[in-house]
Amino acid sequence: MTAPRGPQPFPGQEKRLRLLAFVRQDSVVRVDKRVEDTAMVWPHLLVIEFIAAMIWSLGLFVISALFNAPLQDHSTVDCTPNPSKAPWYLLNLQELLLHMDKGLAGVVVPTVWLVFMAAIPYIDRDRSGIGHWFTNEIGRRVTIFSTIFTGVIVSGLIAFDAVIKQKYPAIGWPGYAEFASQYFPGGRELIPNYVIPIFLMLALPFVLVQLVKRLFGGGTREWMIAIFTGFVVTYVVLTVVGTSLRGPGMDLYAPWSLPETHQCFAPRP
Amino acid sequence: MLDIPLQVWERVKAGVLWKSLFRHGYPDSRKNQSLAVFTNVFLHLHPVKVRRHALAIPYTWCMGGLSFFLFLVLTLTGTLLMFYYRPTTEWAYSDIKDLETVVIFGQLLRNMHRWAAHGMVITVFLHMIRVFYTGSYKPPREFNWVVGTLLFFFTILLSYTGYLLPWDQLALWAVTVGYEIARATPAVGDEVSFLLFGGYQLGPNALLRFYVLHVVALPLATGFLIAIHFWRIRKDGGISGPL
Ligand code: HEM
Repeated sequence: MTAPRGPQPFPGQEKRLRLLAFVRQDSVVRVDKRVEDTAMVWPHLLVIEFIAAMIWSLGLFVISALFNAPLQDHSTVDCTPNPSKAPWYLLNLQELLLHMDKGLAGVVVPTVWLVFMAAIPYIDRDRSGIGHWFTNEIGRRVTIFSTIFTGVIVSGLIAFDAVIKQKYPAIGWPGYAEFASQYFPGGRELIPNYVIPIFLMLALPFVLVQLVKRLFGGGTREWMIAIFTGFVVTYVVLTVVGTSLRGPGMDLYAPWSLPETHQCFAPRP
Repeated sequence: MLDIPLQVWERVKAGVLWKSLFRHGYPDSRKNQSLAVFTNVFLHLHPVKVRRHALAIPYTWCMGGLSFFLFLVLTLTGTLLMFYYRPTTEWAYSDIKDLETVVIFGQLLRNMHRWAAHGMVITVFLHMIRVFYTGSYKPPREFNWVVGTLLFFFTILLSYTGYLLPWDQLALWAVTVGYEIARATPAVGDEVSFLLFGGYQLGPNALLRFYVLHVVALPLATGFLIAIHFWRIRKDGGISGPL
């Protein structure tokens, strides 16, 4: 009998195993990395990262050399600019504020959305289609459909709101706020600020999901795509409206005829 | 002609200083390339190999990486800005003015910080979109998506707290919008706004609180979450791809 090759166990310890760690196969994720499917990080990934970092550094330098960050006059509570706007990435929330109760728009809606978003992967768990944009052709169509649906509805609602806000004495319309305080139970608070917005925010996604199910079939992933697309499009539409269409009094203006923000001081040239 | 510089270069590479910095030459074998990645403190965030799929720019848009890049740029430029800025209502505004007019490259510094901050909000949002549409949140990456949701929230908070610091009209009134929202929180509005803004008016306390949140608390929390985020990418088996 020839001795096996390699280091020999100490006498009396032949049966002991030396392990660095024992990991049950299913407790870590096994990745199927076939050799032909992989690339070395050095150089293939690092080169991409390096080039990206260079281009972006350069781009940032150029932009910063060309455009100055805004700085207005010293703040004072005595002078309220009209309109006062939040930073652009929060203008979507500020836009919502115009259409419903403040606490609902600014706190409840974003909180519910963040919680829902965090929960997405616990609802949609089917792993098929990972790694493919939109999962498959159906997903792509659902995305396009939801984009159009949401874009039209959200812009339509904003326009509708702007129209009924006005007074039309010719047809005896006193303006929405006035009408609501005269005829709605609870006046201009309950129904315009709570009931209608909450109803719309629940009903519209529901309608969207039902439409997607009818038109495209599909399961959880498809309706999740519909909802998420609805969110992204709403976010973008509200941001654009808030940034470039809202002028003094937060009224709607065409982007090219948007009046200057009223300032007590001269804005910097 | 090139002899002399080449000789100098060879000398430098043979010298003790160079050898103490770089133990090895350019790694040109697979083994050395692997070693280069996992023995280097900056590179070891990466695995040694990745799936080819993960390299495709149409797949990741590089947006996660660029968000991280901008985070680093912001940390760097932000630290430099801290040298010149005092978070009090007496000084804040004039310190920013000085940056623009007195400090050499101050305006450039401020611009870079500002535009990188806007950029980061955009890249994080785009990153989230790509992760969603490629289905990359699905098991086993659920938790990393949750971490990502928090990162999104923190990115916005960082940006928002920074917005107040110049203490100009733009800053004050933009943040006032947020203040009004906080006050409208159902049931605990007054408490929440008092906690965040340090009073019932946007004054020195609000400025100080936003400053501390902006330069200490939120960057630390975000850095911490990014560390978890990256760690989880590795533990979840690398970037998602077709099964
Ligand atoms: C400060 C913000 C963030 C940074 C620096 C960051 C960084 C990264 C990086 C570098 C990757 C590697 C792949 C890639 O570049 O696409 C990644 C992957 C990932 N990120 Fe983020 N991320 C951030 C925010 C988010 C957000 C907001 C979400 C989602 C809500 C998210 C969810 C994920 C998930 C699930 C992965 C794994 C994707 C895959 O395996 O394909 N991250 N992140």
